[in-house]
Amino acid sequence: MIDISSTPIIIIILLGSVGLAIPIIDAYKKEKGKNKNKLFSAITFGTLMLALLIVISRVIGGELLPAMSFGKDVLADDMFGSFFAVSLLIVSIMVSASSWNYMKGISNSASYYSLILLSTIGMILIAYSTDFVMLFIAWELMSIPTYALAAFSKKDPISNEAAIKYFMFGAFSSSILVLAIGFVYAVTGTTNIGDSITILAELSAPNQTADHNLGGVIPISYLAIGLFIAGFGFKMGLVPFHMWLPDAYEGAPTTIGALLAAGTKKAGFAAAIRVIVLGMFAIGLDWSIVLAILAVITMTVGNFGALIQKSVPRMMAYSSVAQAGYMMIGLALAPYASSALDGSLFHILNHAVMKSASFLAIAAVAIALASYSLEKYTGLGRKMPITAIALSISLLALAGVPPLNGFWSKLVLFQSAIDSGTVISWGPYLAIAGLLNSALSLGYYLWIIKKMYLDESGDMSRVKEPKAIICVLVFAIIFMVGFGIWHAPLLEFASISVPSHIDQIAPSFGNITNN
Amino acid sequence: MVESIGFEGIAINAWLVWIVPFIGAALIPALAKKSIRFSNMSAVGFAIISALLAATLIPIVVSGSEIHSQIPWIPTLNIKAGILADPLSVIMTNLVAWICSLIIIYSVGYMHGDRDLTRYWFFMLFFIGSMQLIVLSDNLLMVFFGWEGVGFASYALIGFWYADRKKDYVGREGHIVRGIAMWASPTHAGIKAFLMTRAGDVMMLSGMFLIFMHAGTFGFKELLADQTWAHNMMEQNLLVPAAILLFGGAIGKSAQFPLNEWLLEAMTGPTPVSALIHAATMVKAGVFLVARIGPLFFALAAFDAAAFFEVVAWIGAITAFLLATQAIVNPEIKKVLAYSTGSQIGYMMMALGIAGLSTQFVDGYTAGFFHLMSHAMFKASLFMAAGAILHVVGSRFMTDMGGLRKNMNKTFIFMLLSGLSLAGAPLITSGFWSKDAIFAALLESGTSTGISLFFIAFIVAIMTAFYTFRMVGMVFFGTKSKHIQTIEQNSFNKSQYVSSISSDPTDEQRLKPDHENSLKHDSKHQIHEVKAVMWVPFAILAVSTVLIGLVGFIFEEEIHSIMASYLSSSFGIGETISTHNSATNIKQNASPTTEGLNPIALLSSFVAFGIGSGLGIFFYIIRKKDPEIISKYPVLKQTWLFLYNRWYLNSFLYWGFVKIPLRLYKLIWLYFENIIAQGINPALQYSMSFMSKWVKYTQTGVTQTYLFVFAAGIIVVLIMLYL
Repeated sequence: MIDISSTPIIIIILLGSVGLAIPIIDAYKKEKGKNKNKLFSAITFGTLMLALLIVISRVIGGELLPAMSFGKDVLADDMFGSFFAVSLLIVSIMVSASSWNYMKGISNSASYYSLILLSTIGMILIAYSTDFVMLFIAWELMSIPTYALAAFSKKDPISNEAAIKYFMFGAFSSSILVLAIGFVYAVTGTTNIGDSITILAELSAPNQTADHNLGGVIPISYLAIGLFIAGFGFKMGLVPFHMWLPDAYEGAPTTIGALLAAGTKKAGFAAAIRVIVLGMFAIGLDWSIVLAILAVITMTVGNFGALIQKSVPRMMAYSSVAQAGYMMIGLALAPYASSALDGSLFHILNHAVMKSASFLAIAAVAIALASYSLEKYTGLGRKMPITAIALSISLLALAGVPPLNGFWSKLVLFQSAIDSGTVISWGPYLAIAGLLNSALSLGYYLWIIKKMYLDESGDMSRVKEPKAIICVLVFAIIFMVGFGIWHAPLLEFASISVPSHIDQIAPSFGNITNN
Repeated sequence: MVESIGFEGIAINAWLVWIVPFIGAALIPALAKKSIRFSNMSAVGFAIISALLAATLIPIVVSGSEIHSQIPWIPTLNIKAGILADPLSVIMTNLVAWICSLIIIYSVGYMHGDRDLTRYWFFMLFFIGSMQLIVLSDNLLMVFFGWEGVGFASYALIGFWYADRKKDYVGREGHIVRGIAMWASPTHAGIKAFLMTRAGDVMMLSGMFLIFMHAGTFGFKELLADQTWAHNMMEQNLLVPAAILLFGGAIGKSAQFPLNEWLLEAMTGPTPVSALIHAATMVKAGVFLVARIGPLFFALAAFDAAAFFEVVAWIGAITAFLLATQAIVNPEIKKVLAYSTGSQIGYMMMALGIAGLSTQFVDGYTAGFFHLMSHAMFKASLFMAAGAILHVVGSRFMTDMGGLRKNMNKTFIFMLLSGLSLAGAPLITSGFWSKDAIFAALLESGTSTGISLFFIAFIVAIMTAFYTFRMVGMVFFGTKSKHIQTIEQNSFNKSQYVSSISSDPTDEQRLKPDHENSLKHDSKHQIHEVKAVMWVPFAILAVSTVLIGLVGFIFEEEIHSIMASYLSSSFGIGETISTHNSATNIKQNASPTTEGLNPIALLSSFVAFGIGSGLGIFFYIIRKKDPEIISKYPVLKQTWLFLYNRWYLNSFLYWGFVKIPLRLYKLIWLYFENIIAQGINPALQYSMSFMSKWVKYTQTGVTQTYLFVFAAGIIVVLIMLYL
């Protein structure tokens, strides 16, 4: 039985109770003509901050289980989960604070914030879960509120179309996940992730395959893994499971776009690392090439897709597809390079801030200029200086320009790809693909920056910038530049959250992978 | 080896010394929203907090220990960030911090009413932070960050008055040498400074990375602790080149030959900037770097780094001579001081170079460092006084001044005091003692290089005394120039004055309601003394150089003993016999430490001051003969012209690095860019946008397609898995 004072339980209680309380407060204090957006935004912000402080204090206090741990419980209070909890809470905090401005004047603000809180619980629980059923429940808890959030501007047909596409694919991928979990259960007879991986590993060990009774088992477990890749890949935005993504990110309210791009995508990675990467360690190493191919295709398609877009959020949506490709490098190379997963986690945390910052800057522009079109960004450096500088820095950080934080995480990723060359011949090609793609991505990142600063537009007068978003963006600038100059703490946080040796995950894995 | 003992709490102060000014720089734009006065006060506040923090480090010097605190910075390359507070850096950091504070206070008066004050404070604080980073950092990489920071601040402040009005120019308009204009606008000067120092920076960077490649670390301590890298580099004959490349950075930053030309145009910046960056601190960064790495190279066992020190000493000597000769003939007050700065830094380099060549490393080292300290003080003071004069007179030419001693009594006294220090007036000024120490170090080095350098140093000392008295004489003595008479006359008639000073008053007011405006407002008095906020800072420095001068010998001995114990404890140079270095042992035994004054050095200091000041007083103060007399002698006139045209060095550099490359560029543009690059570009562009369009077409927006691709994707993944 999991301890009531463990981090995931506290987060459930804290965020859940506030998330449920907000609609109740709304129902009780129904005064006509009074918009309670600001009140709810503040409550949500405060709650999420409190949760973040709790998680960080526990990380610093060293009370957590090391790296990625598996037990008999459905949730593990470990560093891996806490790392994602920190990243995801930062995203939710940025989103809820920005909604102070962005959601001004909407009618159902109570349900908006309530849904954000509930979805946040889901994302965080995914990172903590050690049981397939728990994982699936958390997955749905994360997804269902975001379907409603994507459709939040219900009079807007684009938003509705986006939400419907998103929902259809969500439902599709959920069913695939259930199927995959079913296959695993059929083979192993357990839903505990740690146990099932151990059993799969024993089954696939060379001395066992001679046993004819188990001959049909391995193909089924491969099927399960393939379905897991597809199911999680939907949220991670891997090509070819990405088709819904540009439409949804663009159509949803931009703050929700930030939550989807920076938040739910990360939860997908958390699940993928828990299940796929560990499965990879256990079952055999020959399918990391599949992840590598997916990584290269994903980053290439993402960058090419973004290159000639006219709408900035759509460009950012494709960019987040490309970024998922970079993160996949670490997942693909996890068995071969010790720092590969460090790099992935580091990039995930950085990306959470960079991508939220860019989406929220777009939201600020949308509030001030009521447009998403790239044409309207002309002269933004004069019109909205703080937004423009924040957007520029986040774009440069996404492209991996030193000395911003995105540079260091890409460096660790590409370095690990090059290091893996001693073990596996195709490893360094991932670094080359990543480098070429980074160069290509500058093609559209710099295009936006050029529009904002170099191109002249007729009206260059200063536009009022939304205050709450400005505060969020200033935080993001400090984060991106500060951790760009001194990235050591973040990298250390990432590397203590990742199992550096397979023995750390479960002692029983050790003797198998040593074969 | 002295390890850090009992100073853990102070380590955080050492970090804050350079972090606080950066924080200040970041906050200034926000603070400036409140009021100008508030932002002035907070800029002064940040500078003083940093100085107080630096002062808390002084116990380190007294106890002869050190603080070395490190944090991981780039774990993937095992690079650590750290600060190293040892006697060298603590003395330097205090010097920098306190002079910075005084100059920041002075700026409040000097920059009063400037429209872009926020930008000014931002860069000043940014500069202080970067400079302290250079001084306190424990590794070359952080030094380089600070190095670029000060370079950037210098560029931005030289071109601070970017409107390029004629009064902010340097050089006499119409003075063209070999097709190159010898006058420069602030923006031009800023770019020139940035590019020329950049040439040095590139050398420094390559030197750094050469060492890093072999040593795997940038840390000074680590480089000394494990010396296998030096063995490897020595075998490949790379050690001396790497050291000289590092010194290249110092050449650029400290305006040494052949990268000296930028410093003169750098005088387009506001005078406090010239005082702070181009006299007292930034240009000393090069000397400081040599002082940091010099002992390291000297201490590396069994390596003959003599070639490196030889280069340092000779570059210093050439610069000292070259710039002193030009200072003699220049008519602009700030440029005379700038030439003098470069020339005096040449002295320091000479001293540090001879340190490495001589048996007693510590003598030359102390002399160089002592001269750095005393020069920082008196030159900052001189610049601030010159700024006060510019502020009042409104012209940069000394020919537009003259006879100011009665009107600007305080400025005269304090400028004379610090001028005496520059000239090396015997026994009472710090400049005398530090220069004497250099003479002694050169003479006692026991090498032929030392003797020849001594003669150069001696001649330069004569010239220094001469141009100092020339400057003081031209500014404060003699009759008032036409320019001053006009100002005095006009001050009776207000409207007349305004029209004569600024032809376009609206523009003038908008851009820089600086001193003309303040003159306009209270133009009742004549040429006047400046406010206390301006004269007190340079008075403090002028008085302290004299105070140090009065106890000069004791002071020198004190620094000598501090440096001797620092060198022996940190590098094993000096008293302790280094077991690994037999060559040095022999040298050390051969000549025992000489204590006390060197009579020849002392005598030559007296003589040099006597000749130089005598000539200066003769021509410019009692004015027995008009200096124009030289135009009667063709040889002298040609020499004058040669010096006035800056030895044609500036023209040569412009032709070599600006004019000819620009012409080459035109060819490249015509034949490469227009034909080849223009051909490849569209091909690349079209192929990229074709790919992009392809991705776009697949994104139909039809959900059925999406679902189809999704399902197909699963199948493809499964097939790949089974393969």
